[in-house]
Amino acid sequence: MYVIGEFHEKERAAAAIRTLRAGGATAADLDVFSEEPVEFPRGVLDRPSRMSLISVSGAIAFGLLATGFIYWAQHDYRVATGGMPLFSFWATGVITYEMTMLGAIVATFAWFLWESGLARPRDRSAPVPMVDPGSICLRVRCRAGQSAHAAEAMQRAGATGVERRES
Amino acid sequence: MSITYRWGMAIDLDRCTGCEACVVACHAENNLPVSTPEQAAKGRTAHWIRVDRYYEGEFPDVKVKYMPVLCQHCDNAPCEPVCPVHATYHNPEGLNVQVYNRCVGTFYCANNCPYTVRYFNWFEPEWPAPLDLQHNPDVAVRMTGVMEKCTFCIQRIKRAKEGAARDGRRLADGDVNPACVQSCPAEAMVFGDLNDPESRVSRLARNGRATRLLEELGTKPKVFYLQKVK
Amino acid sequence: MAPAPELLPYQRIREDLFRPLSRVSRRYVLATVCAFVVGAAGLAAWAYQLRRGMGVTGLQRPVFWGFYIVDFVFWIGISHAGTLISAILRLTDAAWRKPVTRAAEAITVFALMIGGMFPIIHLGRAWLFFWLLPYPNSRLLWPNFRSPLLWDLTAIVTYVTGSIIYLYLPLIPDVAQLAEHNTPWRRKLYRALSLGWTGSDREWHALERAMKLMACIILAVAVSVHTVVAWDFAMAVAPMWHSTIFGPYFVAGAIFSGIAALLIVMSLLRKVLHLETYLTPHHFRNLGKLLLLMSLLWLYFTMSENLTVWYGNEPKEMAVFGARTRAQYAPYFWIMVVLNFVIPFVLLGIRRLRTIANTTIAAVCVVVGMWLERFVIVVPTLANPRLPAAASSYAPTWVEIAITAATFAAMAMLYMIFAKLFPIIAVWEFKPHPPEDE
Repeated sequence: MYVIGEFHEKERAAAAIRTLRAGGATAADLDVFSEEPVEFPRGVLDRPSRMSLISVSGAIAFGLLATGFIYWAQHDYRVATGGMPLFSFWATGVITYEMTMLGAIVATFAWFLWESGLARPRDRSAPVPMVDPGSICLRVRCRAGQSAHAAEAMQRAGATGVERRES
Repeated sequence: MSITYRWGMAIDLDRCTGCEACVVACHAENNLPVSTPEQAAKGRTAHWIRVDRYYEGEFPDVKVKYMPVLCQHCDNAPCEPVCPVHATYHNPEGLNVQVYNRCVGTFYCANNCPYTVRYFNWFEPEWPAPLDLQHNPDVAVRMTGVMEKCTFCIQRIKRAKEGAARDGRRLADGDVNPACVQSCPAEAMVFGDLNDPESRVSRLARNGRATRLLEELGTKPKVFYLQKVK
Repeated sequence: MAPAPELLPYQRIREDLFRPLSRVSRRYVLATVCAFVVGAAGLAAWAYQLRRGMGVTGLQRPVFWGFYIVDFVFWIGISHAGTLISAILRLTDAAWRKPVTRAAEAITVFALMIGGMFPIIHLGRAWLFFWLLPYPNSRLLWPNFRSPLLWDLTAIVTYVTGSIIYLYLPLIPDVAQLAEHNTPWRRKLYRALSLGWTGSDREWHALERAMKLMACIILAVAVSVHTVVAWDFAMAVAPMWHSTIFGPYFVAGAIFSGIAALLIVMSLLRKVLHLETYLTPHHFRNLGKLLLLMSLLWLYFTMSENLTVWYGNEPKEMAVFGARTRAQYAPYFWIMVVLNFVIPFVLLGIRRLRTIANTTIAAVCVVVGMWLERFVIVVPTLANPRLPAAASSYAPTWVEIAITAATFAAMAMLYMIFAKLFPIIAVWEFKPHPPEDE
C-alpha cells in the first residue's frame, strides 16, 4: 500500500516526513519525487552515501594496477632505449596519475548508477507519481491498516492532495 | 677484451674533400629511394649520410668546411625513448636500430634527433630505370610512412659476423666497413670496434684532434670528427 | 527591460528551452549542408593522403610536425572551455554559470573527439595507429610507456571518458522530462538515455554527489591533459621547446582559447535560438572579464618565455627566436600578439566597449590568435634545428588546409545535432531551487 501526498512547500513536506517517521516509517519506505533537487534540513531524510570512499578506492586500485602492469610489460619484452631505465616511476608517473583519475571517474559513475537505483532491479509495483513543476510528491510505503493514519498525517502537515494506491 | 662489439666511426675532416662518394655509395648499398627535382626542392631527399657545407669568409677568401653527417648511433640517443611503439632501440652492439615494419610514423624520433639525421619515406619509393634493377637484396625496401636512417650498414656487419663465426674467430679490425667508409677516396673515414683498444677507430678516438658533434647535449655519439680545432 | 530569467514562470522556461528541439529551420538545413560539404572535402583530402603518402602535405625534413599537430593542440585547448566554466564555477557555486554549463560541456566533448583524431591523421602509417594500445599480440610486443605520446594517449582517453560522463550526468533529468516527446524514435532515445529516472530524492542525492566528485576529478584531469600535450614538446631537446614553462603555459593558453570558443558559441546560440532572456549581458560581461584576465596571463607567460630566451642569447635558441620575432615567422608572431592581447585588452578592458558584440569579436580574435600561437611554437623550432645546415621552412598544402577546415565544420555539425536533440541550457539546473529556510 502506497500513500502519495503532494506538497507545494518544502517545510510542509519536511513536517510530514517527521511525523511519518515518528509513526514508524523508515527511510527506506519514504521517497520524495520532484523536478529539481530538494534540500531538507539535516536529520529529516538523510541518505548516507559511500560515493567518496568508492571513488577514492577505485582511483587508488586502478592507479596501482596500471603502474604494476606497465612495470611488468616493460620487463616482459625488454627494449633498451637511449640509456634510460626500463621502468622509471617518474617517467611513468603521468600514466599512473591519469589511470588513477580514470579509476575515480569510472568508480564514481558506476557507483552513481548503483546508489541512485538506476542500475538496480526496480520494484515495478511501486507507483511513480507525475510531478508538476514546482511541487514535491512524498510517497510512503505502509501496511494497509496504517494507510489512513499516514494519509491523515500528510493532510495535517499541509498536503494539497493525498491519494492512496495499491501496489 | 669483451665479447661484444661496440661499433664506432672516425671521420677526418682535414682529409674530407666533399666529393660525396660516400653519399652515392650509401644510396647504392641501402636501396635509398631516388627523389625527383620537385620533391628535392621541397626538401624531400633522403641521404642517410649527407655532406654539410659551412662557408667562412667572402669571395675570394672563402673557406669551406665539409662535414659528412650520418646517424651518430648515440649511446644516450634522444630518439629512442620517445618512440611510442619501440620502433627504434639500442642493440647490444651499440647500434641505434630502426625497425621498419614497426614504425607507424609519429615523427617524434626525427624531431628529437639533434643532428637531423632521420629521414622519412614521404611516398612509395621509386627508382628510374635501370636503377630499379640495382637493389641490394640484403636490405629491405621501405614503404611509405616509415622513418629510416643510417644503420652503419648492419647488413654488412651481420654478414661479416656470420663469416667470422663460421671460421670460429672474432671479427678483426678492418673486416667490415660500411659502404661510405669503403668508398671514400681520401680514406677519411674509419670504422671499427670501440671495445677493442687497439683498433684504428679507438686509437683515432683517443687522438688529440678528436671531437664529437653536439657533445654538450650528453647524447654520447659514436662518430668522432678529427679536425684541427683552432 | 526583460525580467530576470529566474523569475519567469517555469512553464515558459520549459517552452523556451525545449522549443529548438522540435523545429528545423531552413537556416539550420543550409548550415548543416555547408558543414557537411566542407567536412566531406576534408575526408576526401585525408583519403588522398592515406593513398599517396604523407608527401602530399607540406611537411619536409626537418619540419616533421606541421598543421596537424598545431590543430591537435588547438582543439585539445578548446576543450578546456567546459572544464573551467562547468567544474570551477560549480565548485564555487557561482550562480551565473547555470545557463552556460551544458553548452560548455558539449564544446569539451566534441573538441576532444575532433582533437583526438589528429594523432591518427598525422601518422605516416595511420592504419596502424592501434599499435600504440597495449594489447596482447603474437609478436609479444608492448608499446613504449616511456614515450610522451603514450602519456598523451592515456590522458586523452581519460579526459574523453570523464567529459562524456560529466556531460551525461546532468543531462539525465532533462532527458527524463523530454521522454514525453511526440516523435516515437525520440521518445525511445530519451527513455533509453534517461535510464528510468524518476526524480526521487535518492537519485537526486546520488546525482549531486557524483557531479561534485566529477567536477573535482575533471578539473584535475584537465590540468594534466594539456600539461601532457605540452610535454610532447617540452620533453624534446629541440631549441625553444625544451622549456619548463610549457606545462603551465599551455594550460593557461587552453583555458584562454576555451573561454573564447565558449563566448563564440554562446553568441551564436543566443542569436539563433532566441535565448536573449537566458544568456544575458551579465553572462557575457563575466566571461568577458575572465577572457581579459586570461589574456593578461597569456601575455605574462609569453613574455616570460621569450624574454628569458632573448636575454640568455644561446645561439641555437636565438636562431629560433629570430625566426619567430624578426624573420620568416615574424608576421604570424606579431599578428598573434595583436589578436591575443591588444584587441582583447582594448575591447574588454574599456568598460564602455564591453558589449556583447565586442566581446564576441574579441573572442574570435583570440581563437585565431591562439591557433597562430600553436603554429608559432611548433614550426619555427623545427625549421631551425641544432645543426644549421639542416634548417628549412614549411608551407601547408591544400590537404592540410582542407582537413583543418573540415574539423571546424565537424565541430559545427556535431554541435548543431546536439542542440537539436538536447536542450542546450540545463533546464533543471536553471530553475532555482525552492528557497532555503534558515
